[in-house]
Amino acid sequence: MKKLFALLLAIVMVVSLAACGATTDGDKVGADAGSVYWLNFKPESDGALKELAAMYTEETGVDVQIVTAASGTYNETLIAEMDKENPPTIFVVGNTAAVNEWKDFCYDLTDADITKELNDEYKLYDADGKLCSIGYCYECYGIIVNKALLKEAGYEIEAINNFETLKAAAEDIHARADELGFDAFSSNAMDSSSSWRYTGHLANLEYYYESVDDPDAWKECPAEIKGTYMDNYKALYDLMVENSTVDRKDLAAGGLDSAAEFKDKKAVFYVNGNWEWSGLSEVFAAEDLTMIPYYCGVEGEEKAGLNCGTENYWAVNAKADEADINATLDFMKWVVTDPEASAIAVGTFGVMPYTNAVESTNPFLAQASAYASAGNYTMPWVTNFQPNVDAYRETLVGAMNTYNADPTDANWELVEAAFVAGWATQYAAVNE
Amino acid sequence: MDKKKKKKKAHSHAVVNSKLLRRPIKRAGWFFLLPMVAAFIIGFIWPFLQGMFLSFCKFTTTSSWEWVGFKNYVRAFKDSQFMYSFGYTALWTVVSVILINVLAFTVAYALTQSLKGTNIFRTVFFMPNLIGGIVLGYIWNMIFNGILSYFDTDILRETKYGFWGLIILMCWQQIGYMMIIYIAGLQAIPEDMMEAAKIDGASAWKTLTKITIPNVMPSITICMFLSITNGFKLFDQNLALTGGQPFAINLDGTSVHTTEMIALNIYNTFTESGQFAKGTAQAKAVLFFILVATIGLMQLKTTRDKEVQQ
Amino acid sequence: MAKTKTKPLGKKRSLIGLTVAFSVICVIYVMPVFLVALNSFKKNSFVKTETFKWPTAESFAGFENFITGVTFGGYPFWQSVLYSLLITVLSTALIIFFTSMAAWYISRVNSVFCKVVYFACVFSMVIPFQMVQFTLARTADTLKLNTPWTIPVIYLGFGAGLAVFMFTGFVKSIPLEIEEAAAIDGCGPFRTYFKVVFPMLKPTIISVAILEIMWVWNDYLLPYLVLDKTKYRTIPIHIQYLKGSYGTVDLGATMALIFMSIIPVIVFYLTCQKHIIKGVAAGAVKG
Repeated sequence: MKKLFALLLAIVMVVSLAACGATTDGDKVGADAGSVYWLNFKPESDGALKELAAMYTEETGVDVQIVTAASGTYNETLIAEMDKENPPTIFVVGNTAAVNEWKDFCYDLTDADITKELNDEYKLYDADGKLCSIGYCYECYGIIVNKALLKEAGYEIEAINNFETLKAAAEDIHARADELGFDAFSSNAMDSSSSWRYTGHLANLEYYYESVDDPDAWKECPAEIKGTYMDNYKALYDLMVENSTVDRKDLAAGGLDSAAEFKDKKAVFYVNGNWEWSGLSEVFAAEDLTMIPYYCGVEGEEKAGLNCGTENYWAVNAKADEADINATLDFMKWVVTDPEASAIAVGTFGVMPYTNAVESTNPFLAQASAYASAGNYTMPWVTNFQPNVDAYRETLVGAMNTYNADPTDANWELVEAAFVAGWATQYAAVNE
Repeated sequence: MDKKKKKKKAHSHAVVNSKLLRRPIKRAGWFFLLPMVAAFIIGFIWPFLQGMFLSFCKFTTTSSWEWVGFKNYVRAFKDSQFMYSFGYTALWTVVSVILINVLAFTVAYALTQSLKGTNIFRTVFFMPNLIGGIVLGYIWNMIFNGILSYFDTDILRETKYGFWGLIILMCWQQIGYMMIIYIAGLQAIPEDMMEAAKIDGASAWKTLTKITIPNVMPSITICMFLSITNGFKLFDQNLALTGGQPFAINLDGTSVHTTEMIALNIYNTFTESGQFAKGTAQAKAVLFFILVATIGLMQLKTTRDKEVQQ
Repeated sequence: MAKTKTKPLGKKRSLIGLTVAFSVICVIYVMPVFLVALNSFKKNSFVKTETFKWPTAESFAGFENFITGVTFGGYPFWQSVLYSLLITVLSTALIIFFTSMAAWYISRVNSVFCKVVYFACVFSMVIPFQMVQFTLARTADTLKLNTPWTIPVIYLGFGAGLAVFMFTGFVKSIPLEIEEAAAIDGCGPFRTYFKVVFPMLKPTIISVAILEIMWVWNDYLLPYLVLDKTKYRTIPIHIQYLKGSYGTVDLGATMALIFMSIIPVIVFYLTCQKHIIKGVAAGAVKG
């Protein structure tokens, strides 16, 4: 017993000594200079942001802390951190629901210097017209195509410009998969690592075309939706899961590695966004790939472009000390104007909609601009309106799993219920 | 009978002589009791009271709240998912408590017979206690899906898979711990009692029900208490194994998460958007606490009564 | 004569049957741990598809997963290990030291206040952490209990319930005569406790220790919400950061990290398993 205690004591001492040596408390600059604390949303960007922070501290002496919330826990993390003595000064308020929740904590950015740098309408206001948050990057998504494989299967990318041509190519490739050695779509599972492709990205086309029909109803989050384009949603969804490397029945269990399949050249089409470029660039050159819109059989879709928008909006904590707020605003401005800093930021975020930020080198974003300048319509992220988004999407995933296990019309009705009636239900739950 | 007498005797003894001990100990209370009570207040009582308070508020962070009275409680009671999770958790707990205790007792009984390798078995059976809940959930998710894939299905497809899957997981994890407690109880039964039963020609069944079980009642008490509270509080394993799936979708767009237990339901409520969501989650936690506390104490009382009676 | 001879033989045979059955169950019992080890050597995309298969030339990843797991994210893994160790050892030591004293005080003094404390402890055992997660994080931050050196106080507070419950149960069963004899010999409460009572608590100490160690070592949410995230991570937090922002997980690396986090616990368990099993048995039966 004594030995055990001696051992424990020894461990404690050694460990605390070692840990003491490990921590390097940098000298904090006086409180007057203020400090910056950015509660970051994307685990992938953690490294780049820490680099930015170190650079800024070296240049100006202002202390910048970057903390990244673990995946899927941003909300809890924010609630806990906001209560602390040193709360975050920059945090993410990415959609209308978040604005309603956090508006009391949002510093009015209307007159901030950084807002003048913003060259696009990525701004979120609360009901009183306060500018709560501004976009710090934007993204696009669509169907990523491996051009070489498509050609090998006997199709030209230029010939695919609507749902019929996409369907013909995909079904043909899937039918000849064994012979070709690759399939049409890579597998996208229904677990939390992938289901957003269907409940977020794909769902967007339904909301978008509905909003085109009735723009007034979609100025803010509508209390209910019509589901006019559910057939198009179904058509594209069925096409994606029927003609993929994995049986649709196995999608629910998850654990599939869609990106790896695409990189191993096992599939021609890969449903994802521009943020995948850094991973894909390990294997592909920019000219090997392209991104095409979600074609779903809507009239005139030959003129469709990519889905562009963002959920990445900066908000500044209004309840922080004034010195900290000022330091934070200076830091944000520096990130989007300093050539070296904005290069790092653009490298991790894609495109930053700021006048003096460096240009993006991301080929998919270039593709998005090419579509836009060719006069095609860009589809904004209407999904940002999804009420009670986690619960809404979860229900939709549940319904889609039932449908995948047994793809009957009766089961599709459940998907429709979750999609259309579920919107109204969640809207009512949140807005009472 | 013998035991009861002994207990009483010890008790009266304590009353008569403990004054000798009591006063000096009491004077040293600042040393013995204070540190633990102070930490308990910081780490539990104060956050708990704040939590109680917040269940009557709507709040964004814990320092920016607004009083709303019983509104959150009304919402909690109106929430059909909460009610479902309530029933599901109760059913699951009953089944798991019975299975875990019966199996643990059986294994313990078998291992107290003169068996070769008893020590190795004990060591191995206890081992699952060393792995955290989330990890266990993921491992078993892989195993179940690996097995179910031979039948062209998976664990998220049917409620009963999720139900029994979680039962198997928890049995696997807890039997070892409970088994050790039962073994200790079994070994504490006086030899002469068993001998006497043998001489009287009592059948094995009679020996078990009349002598063995009454004598391990203290072990049963503690095992029941642990497995009931564990069952009601179960969170990590539930989240990692099925996360509430499969969902039953209603045509009005609502859904029932058919394997979602109460703790997971509370957790999910916290992450919902809407100004009352967090207050409602807090109210659910209070209701849940009242329920578990009542059941736990009731159980403790009933089995403790049985202990004294024999 | 013949009859008595066959009976033990039959019994022996059934015992052999039992032994065989238990051996099989044992193998099944170790399987999950073994699977983690096995899969930590496979490439990410094979973990889900070939869970039960031996790594092949195609799926074998060598130590790549371990390297990824240790090096990713710009936070030194060895620091998380040290913090995890520090927090676990310190918290367990604190809990054992202070709750055993408190339990002794509670059962010996047995005043109304003691009863209140005892029942509060029992109540705290059934509280789901979610109920206090945000309020606890705030309290801890205000009192600066957000470093690996001070967070054990939070663990002492939140984990006191179970420990007090178990210690009190055991202390009640210790005959008073021993302490009385010590008191008559002129021992004050301090010497009585540390020289006489504390050594007798050994079995319960072990069973409390194992429960607390397992809890603290594997705990994720509490340190995640409470610790100063700009500086400190524990192993479970480190593992969480393997998840990408769209929920993609490097399963191979996750398995490798989980495997590494289980090893110390298993080594600890196997070296002290005799004490542990005795402790759990002796400590619990009196509860």
